[in-house]
Amino acid sequence: MSIEAHHIRKTFGRFTALDGVDLQVPRGKLVALLGPSGSGKTTLLRIIAGLERADPDGRILFHGEEVTHMPAGRRRVGFVFQHYALFRHLTVFENIAFGLRVKRRRERPGESEIAARVRGLLALVQLEGLDRRYPHQLSGGQRQRVALARALAVDPKVLLLDEPFGALDAKVRKELRRWLRRFHDEIHLTTVFVTHDQEEALEIADEVVIMNQARVVQVGTPQEVYDRPASPFVYQFLGNVNVLAGPALGDLPGQHAAAVRAANGHIYVRPHDIEVARYEAGAPGIPAVIRHLHAAGPLVRLGLEQVQSREGVEVETSRAVAEDLHLQANDLVLLRVRQSRSFAEDYHI
Amino acid sequence: MEPPFPAGLTLSMAAAITTPLAVTHRAAALPRATHDAAWVRWLLTGIALLFVGFFLALPLAAVFTEALRRGLGAYLASFRDPDALAAIRLTLLAAAIAVPCNLVFGVAAAWAIAKFNFRGKSVLTTLIDLPFAVSPVISGLVYVLIFGLQGWLGPWLQDHDLRVIFAVPGIVLATIFVTFPFVARELIPLMQAQGNDEEYAAITLGAGGWQTFWHVTLPNIKWGLFYGVILCNARAMGEFGAVSVVSGHIRGETNTMPLHIEILYNEYNFVAAFAVASLLALLAIVTLVLKTFIEWKHAAARGDVS
Repeated sequence: MSIEAHHIRKTFGRFTALDGVDLQVPRGKLVALLGPSGSGKTTLLRIIAGLERADPDGRILFHGEEVTHMPAGRRRVGFVFQHYALFRHLTVFENIAFGLRVKRRRERPGESEIAARVRGLLALVQLEGLDRRYPHQLSGGQRQRVALARALAVDPKVLLLDEPFGALDAKVRKELRRWLRRFHDEIHLTTVFVTHDQEEALEIADEVVIMNQARVVQVGTPQEVYDRPASPFVYQFLGNVNVLAGPALGDLPGQHAAAVRAANGHIYVRPHDIEVARYEAGAPGIPAVIRHLHAAGPLVRLGLEQVQSREGVEVETSRAVAEDLHLQANDLVLLRVRQSRSFAEDYHI
Repeated sequence: MEPPFPAGLTLSMAAAITTPLAVTHRAAALPRATHDAAWVRWLLTGIALLFVGFFLALPLAAVFTEALRRGLGAYLASFRDPDALAAIRLTLLAAAIAVPCNLVFGVAAAWAIAKFNFRGKSVLTTLIDLPFAVSPVISGLVYVLIFGLQGWLGPWLQDHDLRVIFAVPGIVLATIFVTFPFVARELIPLMQAQGNDEEYAAITLGAGGWQTFWHVTLPNIKWGLFYGVILCNARAMGEFGAVSVVSGHIRGETNTMPLHIEILYNEYNFVAAFAVASLLALLAIVTLVLKTFIEWKHAAARGDVS
């Protein structure tokens, strides 16, 4: 079922959490709401779920049908909370069965049907045999999957996840997000998840909605937003970036000159889009001195200082290149920009 | 050379803390600078024990000694006095009304304060503490001013032949007022710490307000609630000041146990006075045992969560 949100505003006293947000989530897609903390993404998710009310004239539609004033319990949304919010006094089985047991008597399934449903869901989230455990006896990843199974028990039409992997350690987080992607590919439930981790959003989402300061700033597939960021904010948020000042770029290739002028003399360059060469007098490039060199991991990270402006630059290069050039701390090198972005409106980032 | 760890301290710590092994190991590993001299430790422990003995254990022992001074027969005979029985009945009645009232009020207030934001919330929170802040005598006087013959509602009550002051309703009202904060104060921090997420989860799963309360909120607060209730009950049965003002001390009618004890004592009927007092002392002991049990259960439940 598709989700549409129109003109969503939400203010808490003087604080504006959402400032006229529009959102379209196509049916069956996995969409990430990505933004820094305080950007309004969780508030938007809670408004979609019906846990918060938007200010008047905001509208929420599920599959074209207006649900703006429908209480959360009737919207058929599965909501997974950041800290799971499992019922701590109930077993895994009873947690998952909760949504079935609180149904009105004539809609409530019988005991054997409830048991069958719960077992099916436990199998779906790969937690068979843990039905008698209590939440405190489970690991973080297991609790997360119980929360998911509990949300799915009421047969929701959309699934909403608030920072689903936020409270997990790095390794489990990676495993679980890949699992969520495969899981989504199996059940094709329209899913929106909130995250502040761009890697997570870019890795598993079909579409990324980037939010900043109570607004949506860009929507697109992971590749679109990564390759064609709409603003310096997005560019910076989706990865490391260097801001280079125009005067330092005297030897910039010709096609950049106009763009740099338009951007008040600033260009944005990813660390892996800068090429390093040994210094030669008269050769093109920005002279810089290597200050730090970190070779742990697949890439070599260089921290450099530009000779003229004394400003810092970060560069990532492969181990092979670094070894070929015999790069060492305090070496004088030339930096050449392979690819850069400039934005006509210059924000401070 | 590190001097051997003094056995006395190890033992006293072992008695105080349930994991003596871990504690002694950690203490032994501490650098010398964090140790106090032996005489300091003995002095502090001695002062604490003397204080507890003098102010808590001695009076408790005195109550039972005095009550049993003339033997068990005289002790039991004290309870056959109809006035004593009436006082016990009245105390139980007042507690039986006040405790459920404060239970309902306390849960409602804690629920409102912990789970919602509304205007005047801080005023409500402060008002809940009011009975703790004012002298019980004043609490009693307030009811006399409102319901007494010269009070605001006095003439109207008189016309309709209703008695509040110097009657059971006044005693119940005063008891409710004085014991009003116990349940709410116990629950508010607990519910605030637990947050709203479980309730929200229940709501998204289709549960209604009552279902959420019965199946999610109440199980999470049950030990805190029980704790608040037993403290509330102990105070309701033991209250003297406020009840004294509104009671009128009519023997066999408006005397609660604490008031009855005072009268007996003033009449030099020491055995009977201490016999009734021993019931209140027993109530205190039972309350403390229950409290310890609840704290233990509660700590276990809470430890599991984190």
